[in-house]
Amino acid sequence: MATETLIWLVPLPPLLAFFLIVLFTNKSKALSHSIAVGAAFLSWLAAMLIFAAALGREHLGEDPFTSQINWLPTGDTFLKIGVMIDPLSAVVLFFVGWTVLMIFLYSVGYHNFGQPAGDHDHKGLPPHGATVTDEHGHKHTVLSIEPMYSRFFAFIGLFAFGMYTLVVSDNLLTLFVGWEIMGLCSYLLIGFWFAKPSARAAAIKAFMTTRVGDVFMLMGVAYLYSMTGTLSYRAIFYNEEVLHHLATTAAPLFGMSAAGLIGLLLFIGTVGKSAQWPLHIWLPDAMEGPTPVSAMIHAATMVSAGVYMVIRIFPLFTADWDHHSLTTTMSIIAFIGAFTAIFAATIAVAQNDIKKVLAYSTISQLGFMIAALGMGAYIAAAFHLVTHAFFKALLFLGSGSVIHGMEHGVMHTGDHHVDPQDMWNMGGLRKKMPITFWTFLIGGFALSGFPLVTAGFWSKDEILADAFAHGHWAILATLSIAALMTAFYTMRQITLTFFGEPRTKEAEHAHETPWTMTTPLVVLSVFAIGYGWLGIPEHFPGLGGIVPNWFHEFVGGTLIHHPEAVAFHWEPLAISLVVAFGGLGLGWVVYKDVKAGQPDPLEKPLGPLYPFLKNKWYFDEFYTYYVVGPMTWVSEVFTFQWMDRGVIDGIIHSVAQLAPAIGSFLRNWFDKPVVNELIGDGSAAVFQWLGHQLRFIQTGRLQAYLISAVATFLVVGAALYYFGF
Amino acid sequence: MIPLSWYLFLSAALFCIGLYGVLARKNAIAILLGVELMLNAVNINLVAFWRYLDPTQMGGQVFAIIVFAVAAAEVAVGLSLVISIYRTRGTVVADELDMMKW
Amino acid sequence: MNFLLQPLTLVTFFPLLGVLALVFINGEQKNTIRWTALGTALVTFVISLWAFFFSGQFNPANGDLQLVAKYDWIMVAGWNIRYYIAADGLSVMLILLTTFLTPIAILSTWKAVEDRVKDFMMFFLMLEVGMLGVFVAQDLFLFYIFWEFTLVPMYFLIGIWGGPNRLYAAVKFFLYTMAGSILMLLAILWLGVNQGTFSVPDLVAKGGIPVDIQFWLFWAFTAAFAIKVPMWPLHSWLPDAHVEAPTAGSVILAGVLLKMGTYGFLRFNLPLFPEAAVAAAPTIATLAVIGILYGAAVSYSQKDVKKLVAYSSVSHLGFVMLGMFALNSQGIQGAILQMINHGLSTGALFLLVGMIYEQTHTREIKVYGGLWKITPVFGTLMLIVALSSMGLPGLNGFVGEFTILLGAFGSVAYGSYWYAMLSAIGVILAAIYILYMFQKMFLGPAGEITHHHEIKDLNLREIITLLPLLVFIFWIGLYPAPFFNLMAPAVEKLLIPFQAVLMAAH
Repeated sequence: MATETLIWLVPLPPLLAFFLIVLFTNKSKALSHSIAVGAAFLSWLAAMLIFAAALGREHLGEDPFTSQINWLPTGDTFLKIGVMIDPLSAVVLFFVGWTVLMIFLYSVGYHNFGQPAGDHDHKGLPPHGATVTDEHGHKHTVLSIEPMYSRFFAFIGLFAFGMYTLVVSDNLLTLFVGWEIMGLCSYLLIGFWFAKPSARAAAIKAFMTTRVGDVFMLMGVAYLYSMTGTLSYRAIFYNEEVLHHLATTAAPLFGMSAAGLIGLLLFIGTVGKSAQWPLHIWLPDAMEGPTPVSAMIHAATMVSAGVYMVIRIFPLFTADWDHHSLTTTMSIIAFIGAFTAIFAATIAVAQNDIKKVLAYSTISQLGFMIAALGMGAYIAAAFHLVTHAFFKALLFLGSGSVIHGMEHGVMHTGDHHVDPQDMWNMGGLRKKMPITFWTFLIGGFALSGFPLVTAGFWSKDEILADAFAHGHWAILATLSIAALMTAFYTMRQITLTFFGEPRTKEAEHAHETPWTMTTPLVVLSVFAIGYGWLGIPEHFPGLGGIVPNWFHEFVGGTLIHHPEAVAFHWEPLAISLVVAFGGLGLGWVVYKDVKAGQPDPLEKPLGPLYPFLKNKWYFDEFYTYYVVGPMTWVSEVFTFQWMDRGVIDGIIHSVAQLAPAIGSFLRNWFDKPVVNELIGDGSAAVFQWLGHQLRFIQTGRLQAYLISAVATFLVVGAALYYFGF
Repeated sequence: MIPLSWYLFLSAALFCIGLYGVLARKNAIAILLGVELMLNAVNINLVAFWRYLDPTQMGGQVFAIIVFAVAAAEVAVGLSLVISIYRTRGTVVADELDMMKW
Repeated sequence: MNFLLQPLTLVTFFPLLGVLALVFINGEQKNTIRWTALGTALVTFVISLWAFFFSGQFNPANGDLQLVAKYDWIMVAGWNIRYYIAADGLSVMLILLTTFLTPIAILSTWKAVEDRVKDFMMFFLMLEVGMLGVFVAQDLFLFYIFWEFTLVPMYFLIGIWGGPNRLYAAVKFFLYTMAGSILMLLAILWLGVNQGTFSVPDLVAKGGIPVDIQFWLFWAFTAAFAIKVPMWPLHSWLPDAHVEAPTAGSVILAGVLLKMGTYGFLRFNLPLFPEAAVAAAPTIATLAVIGILYGAAVSYSQKDVKKLVAYSSVSHLGFVMLGMFALNSQGIQGAILQMINHGLSTGALFLLVGMIYEQTHTREIKVYGGLWKITPVFGTLMLIVALSSMGLPGLNGFVGEFTILLGAFGSVAYGSYWYAMLSAIGVILAAIYILYMFQKMFLGPAGEITHHHEIKDLNLREIITLLPLLVFIFWIGLYPAPFFNLMAPAVEKLLIPFQAVLMAAH
């Protein structure tokens, strides 16, 4: 079938899986996961076919695969929606397809398919273990299957649908639709174990924080639409006149051009979605969700969607860039990116939960990408996006594998107070879980930018090279320090987890996880190593030029004007090597001899800085006090009690009381005394007196009446006779 | 023929006697007798006028017959009322039937 | 005979046949009464569908009034009052919404009302006549009659079958609405007497009302409609009325009665007083934005779930007013669509709340909790409806809100982006209170009620009641084009005089 039709079909299998599981196969675990993984496989297949077709087409950037339909009638035209695959969406589709499939497969093992149902497991809480009796009559506690198994696959199916929709979309509206659906799914999945209060709180936090960003994004979309009359990428981002028009129209705020303001508003959406400072607070809490969710949200899909969107709107906010000094919008973007990179890195250094380190590392790496975009380094940012997706997904899934192994240990010893996610309880796991170890090492090295053999090196180096080449010294310095810290905390994590001797009994009893979990790790590590070689800069000493810089050529075609390759300088390369080796080495040295029960070697030297970092610079507390508190006050006290009850209803009630007041005044001062008493009772009294006087006439005797009748007749008759009628 | 006026005097006299009976007699039945006298006086009046003024017209006779019928009905009702009162009150003296007194 | 077979007359007055039938049924035979009422409402719905889609007399591509029935009525002493009813793209969806929601509301109240069922159903059907009359009336006098006519059954519905504080709520509702209507009556009388006719199309065609008088007339009409919508600050009757009303009453109050206010703006204020409308647009927009934010803020602090939904109506209808007075095609179309969406979503919310209230007789949010485990179907449906209310893309609320935002953003009448920007904040706030409600009631640990009551999941009748609403929630969200096509030409026609007026004003 035509590629265009195939593109429409890419998001559908996971959506179908969602409905099938929710409506029909909820009860059967095997059927549910088969449908889900099968759907992920179909989407993967379609994605690969499309990618192959995209590789084959000449000048994909000028002539992408597109297809539209009419959706919303607006006046006499239609707002069209459709799909488009250009070079950027092709590479994104590639990594989304792979990571989603791997995560779906991993989830089967992660949720302990094949294990018995737990002894005390409830829906809404993580599984707690089941007691089995083996053939010798010994009782063991083993991992139990997740009670809400099918529901999980339904939700991640919906999630995948949202992401695919976003990737294949050709306009900002359906991007926003996919964006919001992913927001919904992140709420459902972070709060998956909904009986845990921390999970519920984290889900709401995630949804709200991203919503704040989304609203600004919506304003940006509305503004863009009002200026251009369309939301289609081709019509705006690939159209010189429209971009020029936007760049030269002044916006009502801050002295920016319309392009700049719209870019900024849309960027705020990414600040929320990709957890940049100051809307980063939701991401670490989102670790409450099961690990595949963390991998999905924080590596493969959701946060990447934020960066993808900024890359997509790159032509817009660079429309008024003269390629020398950064515009206001770009400076803001670069600042937020760089600051976030270093800010998150500092916090990661002081975290003890294996997933939290990765969470902050994600925030930090996204900061790198955002900073790159702020500087105008289009290709570098896109490259890092793709490589990061692979190695971060690998790291998250690896951490899940580690946690699983630790949980085996916890089941074995029966001590549920030991936190299987705390790195201080681990140690020496490289012998117990070799596959996990090697793949995690590869991922960690990629994250740190280990030279030449890891993808992370190539992409991170390009960002630093771009900063250097264009003279953005502050950003270069910030990102370099962040890179150093990245390598440091990564090696800290690897050392604490895998090297040395097991620090607890649980770590001693850990063992490797099943193939459904380790296979995805291996697959992803292949990409974590190999993908980098697709983007070797041309002038790189030695290796450059052997393999063409395919990534640059291919993705560069997305823009109207192919970006130039950055000239090679040895300084940024040196910096990369120094920070990578330095950080890794330092991390190894400081942590290799850590024993059980020891405090973190960093605690003493950092002093008061350590708790500051550990508590995430106290941002959550700040927000609770200064944002949530006032909002609740405004809602409860100001608007409800004062305004609504007090003022508005007070006025109504006063009016309502005015009427009876007037009424009772009139009654007491006029109605009663005058009308009732004077006129009413008075006239009654007169007649009563009259009656009293005349009552003697009533004798009750017939003849008396007759006599008076006759007498009256005679008198009246005489009067009439004599005085006429 | 005797003049019309003699009949009229007769009927007037009878009427006054009847009226006196109604107004002054104590016994309720006597009052009814007085009423009968008045009605018959009226009849004499009617017939006299008929005979003397326009004998061909039916009106006078018819009217007289109607008065007879009414008088008979009225006496029947009146007497039964008097009997009822006698049964409940034990008296037919008009002055003693003063329940409608104030 | 011709008079009766005229489609709109038939639609409007058919429920009276139901009322007549009910008169003769013994009050003890509750099921017969219920089925009769339901049957009448369903037949009315079918007739309305026939009138608009199958009778061949209604063509949405034509923006004019169609299905006209016009008869002279009271033509004495210079007063030209006619029985004049018609429908066009502006009102077709509202008429269909009314005939659609009434059987659903009746079905929902099958077990909820056990005493005086006959009176309840009679009032309900009379209410339907009133509502339909409001939407089809083209003569001001006739409109006023129908408008006031809806107050009486609603007053009784709240006052007899309502909650503990029902008398206060019913009286407040009645007096408040009537107060506004009186002002409107004055304006109607002025128009009818001065312009020589009470028929709206004739008045519009005649035009020529001096601008300063237009101002007063506009605000007199606005008084009545703004109370009905309800616009801030005239909204305080709504929470009490909604909380105390029985479920079916709330559904129809939120679903249809509130739309009478917004419809009034659309049908009367805009065409009759264009200059005044343009001049008033920023003021109305300001009130609308305040309503959006205020309604959302107050919703969040509610302890009673029905009150929460009631205040959310204030917020949602603020969006409608914002869209309407943007005075452009997108704004008005978005506003009309959002009227329908609100009717569906909020109607569904009240239905769901009513369903659980029937079992537990409490509406306090904090005594619930953990409902999703016990009643997964109820939870899922509530989630979908809540998301629709919140404007999640893919569901109906988003299409309306988005179109309104587009309209408000580019509106010449407003001339400023700020209205749209501020109202976008309302979108965040909506998410907050809706998710808070969902979280507290469905997730988390079981509250007292969930523990002590044996709560059953939705039964078949309840699911059938909700299903049609869900179908439309998804349909409008995914493929809204047919709905837009129904109203677009009429909206274009409405806007024609505004091009000139807006040019002149700006």
